[in-house]
Amino acid sequence: MDEVLVNLKNITFGYPSRPKLLKDLNFTFHKGERIGLTGHNGSGKTTLLHIIMGLLKPFDGEIEIFGKARKNEEDFREVRKRIGLLFQNSDDQLFCPSVYEEIAFAPLNFGKSKEEIKRVVRRILNLVGLEGLEKMPPYHLSGGEKRRLALGTVLAMEPEILLLDEPTLELDEDGVQKLMDILRKPHFSYIVVSQDINFLKKVTDSIHIINDGKIKKYNS
Amino acid sequence: MHISEGVLSAPALIGGASAAAAGIGFGIKKIKDEDLPKVAVLSSALFVASLIHIPLGPASVHLILNGLAGLILGWSVFPALFLALLLQAILFQFGGLTTLGVNTLTMGLPAILCFYLFSKSMRSKSDVLAIISGFLTGVLGVFLASILVALFLVTTGEAFLNVAKLVIIAHIPVMILEGIITSFIIVVIKKIRPEILGGVE
Amino acid sequence: MIEERFSKGDSIIHKLDPRIKIIYAFLFSIIMAVSANPLVLTSGFVFSLALVFLARLEFKEILKRLFLVNIFILLLWLILPLSVPGKLLFSIWKLHITQEGIIYAFQITVRCNTIVLAIIAFLSTSSILNLTYALKSLRIPDKMVYLFFLIYRYIFTLLKEYRRLENALKIRGFIPKTSLQTYRVYAYLTGTLLIRSYDRAEQIYRAMLCRGFTGKFWVLNKNSFKKTDILSIGIFGIYITLLLFLQWMKSS
Repeated sequence: MDEVLVNLKNITFGYPSRPKLLKDLNFTFHKGERIGLTGHNGSGKTTLLHIIMGLLKPFDGEIEIFGKARKNEEDFREVRKRIGLLFQNSDDQLFCPSVYEEIAFAPLNFGKSKEEIKRVVRRILNLVGLEGLEKMPPYHLSGGEKRRLALGTVLAMEPEILLLDEPTLELDEDGVQKLMDILRKPHFSYIVVSQDINFLKKVTDSIHIINDGKIKKYNS
Repeated sequence: MHISEGVLSAPALIGGASAAAAGIGFGIKKIKDEDLPKVAVLSSALFVASLIHIPLGPASVHLILNGLAGLILGWSVFPALFLALLLQAILFQFGGLTTLGVNTLTMGLPAILCFYLFSKSMRSKSDVLAIISGFLTGVLGVFLASILVALFLVTTGEAFLNVAKLVIIAHIPVMILEGIITSFIIVVIKKIRPEILGGVE
Repeated sequence: MIEERFSKGDSIIHKLDPRIKIIYAFLFSIIMAVSANPLVLTSGFVFSLALVFLARLEFKEILKRLFLVNIFILLLWLILPLSVPGKLLFSIWKLHITQEGIIYAFQITVRCNTIVLAIIAFLSTSSILNLTYALKSLRIPDKMVYLFFLIYRYIFTLLKEYRRLENALKIRGFIPKTSLQTYRVYAYLTGTLLIRSYDRAEQIYRAMLCRGFTGKFWVLNKNSFKKTDILSIGIFGIYITLLLFLQWMKSS
C-alpha cells in the first residue's frame, strides 16, 4: 500500500448545543487515492474536511497528516500549504479585488516572486478556462465562473491533496465536464464530497459514506 | 440620517471631521486581523438592511440601525460607518464628502454609547431585559443622532433652529419604529447566535 | 441600486487616474463647502457641470440623483427665508421673508448641488475596484482599504441573499403594512441576514487561512500616470489657484 497521507483516529466532534456529529471516527487516506464522500445533509462531511485542515478542533482523537501528529495552529499551517480545500460556497472563498489577485493570494502568502506568480496565474487561468478575465472583480462573475475561479485559487497552491466540497454546485454540464478533465489529470490525490453519486462514480475509485458519526464504505 | 453638503459652517465640518478621525483611528486599531472579515461582512449586512424600506403610515422609511451596529461592532462601528457613508456618497450621492466626518460622528457616537450601555444586558439570561435593551438601543440610537444633527445645524447658524427642531420631531416616529424592530432583531439573534451581540472584540 | 452606473464609460473623465480624481474631489468639495463668495460658487457650479458633461453620463439618471439630494434643500427653502434676520423683502400674512434668507438658501443650494455634481464626475466615474487600488497607493492604511473593498464586495452577495429571503416571503403572500406583524417579519429578515453574515465571515476567515493568510492584505496596485493625467493636474491646479485667489480677494 502507498504512503499514508492522512490518518484520523477516534475523532469526536460536535457543535455547541447539538448532539455529537462525529463519533469515534476513523479514516485513512493514502497517496494517489481518489475518494468520494457522501452522506445526507448535516452528516458531517464538510466538518470532516475542516477538521483535516485544522479549521475545527475535534474534542477528542488524533490527527496525523504527512506522517506527523497535528495538534496546534502551527502544525496545521504546514498542512494548509500542502492540502487545498475548495469551499462549498464560492463567495466565501473569493475575497480579493480581482481574478488576478485572487489566484495570486496564496502564492503571495507563500513568498513566491512576482515573475513566478505571473506564470502561475497564466497557467491557472488557462487550466480553469478564465483567460481574459484577470482584471474582473470576482463578484461580477457568474456562479459557474466563480466556482472555477475558486478551484483555480486552490490549484494555484499546487497542493498534494485536494479536498473538494460539493465542487459541482453551480456548475452547468459544460463546467462539470471541465472539472472532470482537470481531475482526471494524473498524480492527483483527492477527496470529493458530493451528494451526486453518479459524479462520484465517474471521478473517484471508491466511495465512502458518513452516517451516524462514522465513515463506512458505500455499496450501491 | 445625514446632513447634506453645503449646509454646515467650516468650524462645524472641521470639528466633526477631527472627532470622527479619532474614533475611526481607534476603531481600526482595535480590529484584529482575524476579525476583519467579521467586521466587513456584518457591516455589509447592516448596509443592506439600511436599504430596506419599511412602511410607516402613508409613507415608508428606511432603517438606520446605528444603535444595533454599535452593539454588534463595538468600536469598529466608526470605521464601518465612515466607509459605508463613503460608499453611499460614491454609489448614490447620499451625504457627501466634506460631511463624512460629521455624519460618521452623529451616527457613531450614539452607536458606541449603546454598546457601553446595553451590551452587558445582551449577555444576560433574561429575555425581557434583552428586549427592553433592544428597544432602547433602537430609540436612543436615532434620538441621539438626531440631537447631534440638530446641534451641528444650530452651531452653524441660529437660523437653523427651526430646521433643527423639525429634524428631531420628524424622527420621533422613526425612533419608535427602530426601537420595535431592533428589539425583535435582538430576540432572533440572541436565540440563534448570541455571540454576535457584544461587539467584535 | 449598488451597481456602479456612472463608472462605465470611456470619456476623458473616466480615463483619468482615480488617485488624482480622489484628490480633486476632496480639494474641490472643501473649497466649495466653506466658500460664501458668489464668484467662487458660480464658477464652481459651472465647472462641475462642465465636468459632468465631459463625462457624458446618462442625463436622466443625474437629474434623478439631484432630485433626491434637493428634497432636503427644499425644506431649507421653506424655513431659512423666514428665519434669517435681514432686509425685509415682502411679507405674506405674518411671514416675513428676508433678502439675506433667500441669499443664504440659494448659497446652500448651489454649494450642495455643485459638490454632488463633482462627486459624480470625480468619484462615481471610477469603479469601486479602481478606487480601492487608488486608496491603497494614496497610502491609506491597508486595513482600511481592505475593509472598504470587503464591505462593498459582500454588499453584492448579501443583497442577493436578502432578495432571496424577501422573495420567499412574497410567494407566501406577505404584504408589508404598518403593523407589528410586518415589523416582526422585517426584523426576522434582518436578523437572519446578520446571522448568516456572521457565519459567512467565519468561513471567509477559514478560506483565508487555507490560502496561507498571515495578516497581510494584498492589494496590488498598478496605476501609472498618463499624459492626460498630467495635463489635468495643470488645468485643475490653475483652476484651484484661481478659486483661492477669488476667495482671498473678497475676504481681504
